[in-house]
Amino acid sequence: MTTQATALGMAPMAKTDRLSWVNVWSIGTVLIAAAVVVPIGAVNFIGLTPSDDIWRHLATTVLPLYVSTTLQLMIGVGFGTLVIGVGTAWLVSTCRFPGKRIFEWALLLPMAMPAYVIAYVYTDILEYAGPVQTMLREAFGWTTKREYWFPEIRSLGGAVSMMTLVLYPYVYLLSRAAFMEQSVCVLEASRVLGRGPWRSFFSVALPLARPAIVIGVSLVLMETLNDFGTVDFFAVSTFTLGIYDVWLNMNNVAGAAQLAGLLLFFVVFLMLTERFARRKQRFHHTTSKYSALPGYQLEGWPCRLATIGCALPVVFGFMVPSAVLGGYAVRHFEVAATAEVFGYAANSVMLSGLTALLAIGIGVFMAYGVRLRGEWLVKAMARFASLGYAVPGSVLAVGVLISLGALDNGIDGFMRAQFGVSTGLLFSGTIAAVTFGYLVRFLALSFGSVEASLNKITPSMDGAARSLGHGPFSILRRIHIPLIRGSVLSAAMLVFVDCMKELPMTVILRPFNFQTLATYVHQYASDEQLAEASLAALAIVGFGIIPVIVLSLAITRSRPGHTAGDQTS
Amino acid sequence: MKGLHVIGVSHAFGDNKVLDNASLLIPAGEVVCLLGPSGSGKTTLLRLAAGLERLQKGQILIDDVVVADQTMQVAPEHRGVGLMFQDYALFPHLNVIDNVTFGLLGHDNAEAHRRGMKMLDQVGMSQSASKYPHMLSGGQQQRVALARALAPEPKLLLLDEPFSGLDTNLRGQIREDTLNVLKQSGVATVMVTHDPEEAMFMADRIKILGENGQILQSGRPHEIYYHPQHEFVAKLFGLMNRFEGVVADGCVDTPLGKVFARGLDEGRKVEVLVRPEGVILQSDRQTGAPVEVISTHLLGHDNIVRVSLTNGGNGKELYVRVHHSFEPELSKRITAGIDPEYAFIFALV
Repeated sequence: MTTQATALGMAPMAKTDRLSWVNVWSIGTVLIAAAVVVPIGAVNFIGLTPSDDIWRHLATTVLPLYVSTTLQLMIGVGFGTLVIGVGTAWLVSTCRFPGKRIFEWALLLPMAMPAYVIAYVYTDILEYAGPVQTMLREAFGWTTKREYWFPEIRSLGGAVSMMTLVLYPYVYLLSRAAFMEQSVCVLEASRVLGRGPWRSFFSVALPLARPAIVIGVSLVLMETLNDFGTVDFFAVSTFTLGIYDVWLNMNNVAGAAQLAGLLLFFVVFLMLTERFARRKQRFHHTTSKYSALPGYQLEGWPCRLATIGCALPVVFGFMVPSAVLGGYAVRHFEVAATAEVFGYAANSVMLSGLTALLAIGIGVFMAYGVRLRGEWLVKAMARFASLGYAVPGSVLAVGVLISLGALDNGIDGFMRAQFGVSTGLLFSGTIAAVTFGYLVRFLALSFGSVEASLNKITPSMDGAARSLGHGPFSILRRIHIPLIRGSVLSAAMLVFVDCMKELPMTVILRPFNFQTLATYVHQYASDEQLAEASLAALAIVGFGIIPVIVLSLAITRSRPGHTAGDQTS
Repeated sequence: MKGLHVIGVSHAFGDNKVLDNASLLIPAGEVVCLLGPSGSGKTTLLRLAAGLERLQKGQILIDDVVVADQTMQVAPEHRGVGLMFQDYALFPHLNVIDNVTFGLLGHDNAEAHRRGMKMLDQVGMSQSASKYPHMLSGGQQQRVALARALAPEPKLLLLDEPFSGLDTNLRGQIREDTLNVLKQSGVATVMVTHDPEEAMFMADRIKILGENGQILQSGRPHEIYYHPQHEFVAKLFGLMNRFEGVVADGCVDTPLGKVFARGLDEGRKVEVLVRPEGVILQSDRQTGAPVEVISTHLLGHDNIVRVSLTNGGNGKELYVRVHHSFEPELSKRITAGIDPEYAFIFALV
């Protein structure tokens, strides 16, 4: 005889999954993703809706300039970071020379330096009245600018140099990881087959690492497109700057959105490149035999060159700017360490902390939703929601303003029609708007790293736990969260630090008179008051160093064979 | 009836049909092995029974209660089913005893601990209660996983390739230990495997799952081996000698002699499959077909002899398994016959 579950006193709705928790996760994931996608969609929508010939106007006036400047900047920064990043990564991964142990992590330090901070510092020391030119004039007895040539820092070339100096660590990080993952056997096979170390590098190691390098350079280029502070200060007319110009100075929403939409094409191209490289990366391990990397002992001049080559990026990308800022902060402590600055620091920490918490909570929720229910809609929405990271902050800010404005007007209209009360602008220009903007941009960071570490947990863990009587929430709490805690924490920290540094969205979305460390540094330093901004800038850099430390620890641990403490069975 | 009852279950992943109208009845106290090649839907059947996969068609009952049909599914955590994974899926952040007590939700801590230790004792792992999974060998992990699955006293235990992760030396011993634990607990057990020998050893009954997801035959190990009802089932246990022929006067003529063809129509084209141990070699050349010895390989207890038919067989080679004491010289001419118990006839289409 058969009995239905109900006859045994089970509550079928609670115990069966016809309309239960699974759908809560799915619906939640789709809703969150939709909210995050709205700003990007809004930009595209407005940008693609033709309105009174702005398009042709843009095309005949500023557009060619924006396109060519942006392309030149991308090529310059891409090439610079490629050479510095791959070169230093190869040296520290495979050669032995004085300082190698230090350079392994020190080469990551410039990552802590926002491009706009380094731009203010170098302008300060390299401009006509700065110490370098003053020293040259005194040494050679020149008195006016016409008597000698000195490169103009506030130029396209200057912007390329600044961004290269702080962005090369992305390429370094990824290509170093790739070099370290490479099986020594492959390299040894190449040498046994008669190729020397240099030819082995070009014919084996470099092609094997190519997907990782491509990913690194794509990330660099995304950051390049995102940059606002440097190009604004140097007056280099890129797309990002153009969007601000059209938006704030010409007061033209549709025009800004159209520019933003066009910029998205660059981004989509970069994202496709990056995805493609990632897909390729999977096929690049032919053997699982690893042993300690050989470490060619360098001697004589190659040895000295290696040390100098690795030292230069660290010196110019981190040490000089830190020293300059530190000098200012000490000498002008009373103007740098004002009560306002501490208030701004509190604002920054509050905003970034709030965003990091939300990003992690939502990231865990979404990644677990995708894991529980791999329906195409859930997966696709989650992918969409991670687009934000690739989209420049300026574009997102425009999108957030448009969509929150529409929401505010909608609520206001509804309330007036129903109750005769005007609510005005509820969200626009509030901290909620800034947080939402941050979330749209940085959710991908938390979602991505939560998802990656969840993927490392075999699905049979879930199956085992469920057959042992635990529901999805209990499994998340008792199995997954303990297992992914480490990477969740480091993701939270990355989001936190990225929010601390964030400038373009903060500038547009912040409430009136609301300052963060980043906007304060931008405002004062671009006004050539570096002394006032020095301590705030140092604070940003200080926070930025935290993930650098964590990253360098992670990369040493990630090498196969170094995983003695690995708990997975 | 206590146990698992699967009725008419079909399942497909996209266009790939892995189960086709499969039905099973597994009573409490029995160990049933699902044997089939990879991709035959064995694991899917386990996952459906556990509730980890959504049922598409059919009905599943555990202890006479419907747990899944077209209208409802009981969530896996409410089915009271124990499941042991191929990779054991021990929780790496919990030590052995915490793993084993993970499923003891209704018990207070002391009670759960006591029960967990009892289970560990049963599988001989109580010494390692405070170790972490990565500190254990494969065989030890397997035993902890078994203890964990049995600890909540499931109505049904599902084992997915439970011995495939172990090396061959260990396997025999662990198989025997596992069988003892299972028999002691008296739980209805379904075990999935692709290893016929393992199925023969463990199972009270074996169900053979074909490539298209149908259950081709089920029966006691003896029946499966000696009375395969399907060519596929006969071939599962290794290399076969194959002859083709036509039924005439109730028999099929093969180069090694006549074989009775019971229940097949006259004039029907058939194939005759003979197990390697079903070929009888004789050196006194009294009866059977003349053959020449090509090679011999001693495998311990058995001797594998390859012979070729010398006249009328077009040099066809035979694969023969004989007792190790019989070791014919190479190129020696001897005779070969058929032991009808090891010869199976299937109609050709």
